[in-house]
Amino acid sequence: MKNLRLKSARAAKDLSQDDLAKICGVSRQTISAVEKGDYNPTINLCIAICKALDRTLDELFWE
Amino acid sequence: MSIAASVGVAVGIMVGLILCVIWFKFANNNKKVKTDYDERQEMIRNRGYKYAFYTVLFYEALLMILAIGRIELPMSSYAVHFLGIILGCIVLCEYCVWKDAYWGLNNNRKRYIIIFAFTAALNVIPIAGGIAGGTLIEDGKIGMPMLNIMVLVMLAVVCITMVIKQIRDKSAVSEEEED
Repeated sequence: MKNLRLKSARAAKDLSQDDLAKICGVSRQTISAVEKGDYNPTINLCIAICKALDRTLDELFWE
Repeated sequence: MSIAASVGVAVGIMVGLILCVIWFKFANNNKKVKTDYDERQEMIRNRGYKYAFYTVLFYEALLMILAIGRIELPMSSYAVHFLGIILGCIVLCEYCVWKDAYWGLNNNRKRYIIIFAFTAALNVIPIAGGIAGGTLIEDGKIGMPMLNIMVLVMLAVVCITMVIKQIRDKSAVSEEEED
């Protein structure tokens, strides 16, 4: 399932997938896979993404 | 193969390993020998290693069946086993390239391409020598330069896959941006 909330939060911060990937210390393809719902990130990556986008885990990852 | 040739190959492998350490230090942006991968890439690579293991397992089982049936291949035994190693490497590389887990976070791709080109050039030398000296075929079987041919084929397969993947990714990224 696509994570559209993550995509919109990233766009709201005016960050590209590459920018977010660099902040989180992962590859661009990994961020793309998380957004497309092809990869379930670990809690560590979820937290890193939330910190980078100033959002909570609930806002970005809770269904 | 004589004992001298065996020692030569062993020394060659050791020199190759030392060269690899120096090259990786040069090719990685943070001067580390080890390549860093993120969690998704690590997961994909682990699966890649599993598939490579099954490939080598299947290949060795096939060789065993051929040996029981006394079927001889037109290659020396060392080349037959080296082919198994190359097949395993190809499976791992192909899987990682397709799943975006080949390039690590600290890899400098341009420097790696230089290393690939240098490796290819190093492998062409024994083949050219074999052709010039007429030692390409020994006792009706393809000789030592066969190993270099296998390495070149592997490099070519991996490089072609990378190019195809890059072309596919470019169109996929532009589609994502349109969304």
